[in-house]
Amino acid sequence: MTGAMCGAEPRLLFDRVWKKFHRGSLHDSLRDFIPAVARRLVTRTSDRELSSGDFWAIRDLSFEVRSGQTLGIIGSNGSGKSTTLKMLTRILSPSRGYCEATGRVGTLIEVSAGFHGDLTGRENVFLQGAIMGMARVDIARKFDEIVEFSGVSDSIDTPVKRYSSGMNARLGFSIAAHLEPDILIIDEVLSVGDMSFQERAFGRIRDLARSGIPVIMVSHQLDRVAELCSDAILLNKGEVTKRGTAAEVIAAYVQQNEAARLVANTGLVLLDSVRLSTDAIASGAHFTVRVEGQVLQPLCPDIEPLVVRVRSLRTGAIIFVTSSRRLSVDMTRTGPFVAKLELQANLPPGSYMVEVASVDTAASKDVASGTPVMIRVNETATFSGSVQLNPTLSLSP
Amino acid sequence: MVRDPKIELPPEVRHTLLGDLREIVRELRSSRDLIYQITRRDIKIRYTQAIFGFAWALLLPVSVVLAGLAVRVAFVHMSNNGVLPPNQVAGVSVKAVPWAFFVACLNTATPSLVSNISLVTKTYFPREVLPLSAVLAQSVDTLIATVLIALTLPFFHVTASLQLLWVPVLLAMLWVFTLAVALFLSCANIFFRDVKYLVQVFLTFGIFVTPVVLDASMYGKTGAMLMMLNPIAPVLEGLRLSIVQHHNLLEPMASPAGFIFWHPWYLAYTAVWAVLGLLFSAILFHRCERRFAELV
Repeated sequence: MTGAMCGAEPRLLFDRVWKKFHRGSLHDSLRDFIPAVARRLVTRTSDRELSSGDFWAIRDLSFEVRSGQTLGIIGSNGSGKSTTLKMLTRILSPSRGYCEATGRVGTLIEVSAGFHGDLTGRENVFLQGAIMGMARVDIARKFDEIVEFSGVSDSIDTPVKRYSSGMNARLGFSIAAHLEPDILIIDEVLSVGDMSFQERAFGRIRDLARSGIPVIMVSHQLDRVAELCSDAILLNKGEVTKRGTAAEVIAAYVQQNEAARLVANTGLVLLDSVRLSTDAIASGAHFTVRVEGQVLQPLCPDIEPLVVRVRSLRTGAIIFVTSSRRLSVDMTRTGPFVAKLELQANLPPGSYMVEVASVDTAASKDVASGTPVMIRVNETATFSGSVQLNPTLSLSP
Repeated sequence: MVRDPKIELPPEVRHTLLGDLREIVRELRSSRDLIYQITRRDIKIRYTQAIFGFAWALLLPVSVVLAGLAVRVAFVHMSNNGVLPPNQVAGVSVKAVPWAFFVACLNTATPSLVSNISLVTKTYFPREVLPLSAVLAQSVDTLIATVLIALTLPFFHVTASLQLLWVPVLLAMLWVFTLAVALFLSCANIFFRDVKYLVQVFLTFGIFVTPVVLDASMYGKTGAMLMMLNPIAPVLEGLRLSIVQHHNLLEPMASPAGFIFWHPWYLAYTAVWAVLGLLFSAILFHRCERRFAELV
């Protein structure tokens, strides 16, 4: 890869990027600072090297996002997501390597950072818009639309210090959402405003993300990543530990988080493959989980060889658990097995993870686990809400 | 396993002085709307919820003028003349306003990055915008004071002359030099937060080593020369000589005591400070800028 720009096509590029941070404060006083400067002049060590107290927050991160691609970046706290985001938006610059964003970058991050309490909503729209790189004429042209979307039109000439935090966030989001960017970078901004605004905001993001521009989304909300992103990378301690389709990477992330529950190398059960009959399904329809595995040793009664859990990616919580014992199927015989579990997806639309494990109930630890598989439940016209109750309607004449 | 980065790294981006300058100009050009909005914000918030409102713009320059007049009156009485000549009043006023501008700019521009730290750490824009907007906001304030002082000058027997054409030249040099110092100090202040206090101390005592209240010629032959080494001094003296004394600044000028205290070379001296200072500060600022967000 070279750093040359490929015409005017908007894209995001990270080329072997490393980022160094320093633990503790930079220089406590002039007494530390002068020797540090002198040393730098003499030894000519560059910023690219690690000196004492430094650590790599990002190691060797590369990716490219072009038009039509949406990349999700997931990882636990401290994995380097925010640092990556700050380098994408040029707030930080890499210690080594190269990163660039070609075209106008729109960020749905810190959408009201530029607000000043003493200025009115109207003045702040122009100020925040300018901070985000919008031209004055463009803001003026879209002003009504922005205010309309935010729903604060009644208070637009009131200083924003009298706004509620929700109003603040709504106005900020509306400005950012009307930016018409060439590239979109999204952070978790959706925890703002009430439910109806969140839905409206996510609808807006979805429209932007599907308009074909390059999109990067950094989020803990795995269902949003699953819905919007074609590809994803998983960061762990600044390094890419998984790269692939959103479904694969989310599965790896869930597995990584569950690793604490897993006792390694028990040699009791092997869960070789987990397959679903389909990866997308209408709400209320049936699907099958097919598990191939092997019971390696005679199992003591505490071991449940087959436990199936379903996790909602919206909340990250397990919403359903079943097992061979609960279903009164004896699987203690040693040897290979093929198990088929039929489930009905009485679930609201969204993304779910089907996880298979063998569990030691006495220690409440997993002694084996299969690869998690993602399933998408699509909307059906028959209901809306958070539970699918399989409605059927009949009329007696 | 960490691979050896030396083998795999893309080539380091080289920064040249000219390249940096071009980048600064390009970034600032594309941030015109932002500069306008931040300047507007800075002006507006200074006057909201303040009793004096726009009178604040006059407070500092008028205070400097009054302090200067008090010193002058004392001097006149020491030499038993009794009456303060009107051209001395005009001379002090003409120098007080630009000095007040310089002081106010540095007082607001030095902390401009630190006081907007949440913007610096959360969004990207060319950070030069913040000290530049502080100087611009102060320029608007100073314009009000300048108009007011200009209106009073005829009462002190100051008449128009061709030498008034020097005024825009001198003010431009002062503005560029002020911007250079503002960029440098705002950058320094984000690394060392006590720079702000140092600046306040220097500005408080700076008036004694700058010919604001007194004229350079009052310090004697060597004293005048030392005074004029201060890059601000030729601007202040130049303003007094051209506006009040109708002196062509391209001619040297002798004091009543007979030594030459004004030399046209002083103009070039300040111009060099202003231009080289701005280039130096802008490039220094630009090169430090990428680390600002880490220095919280």
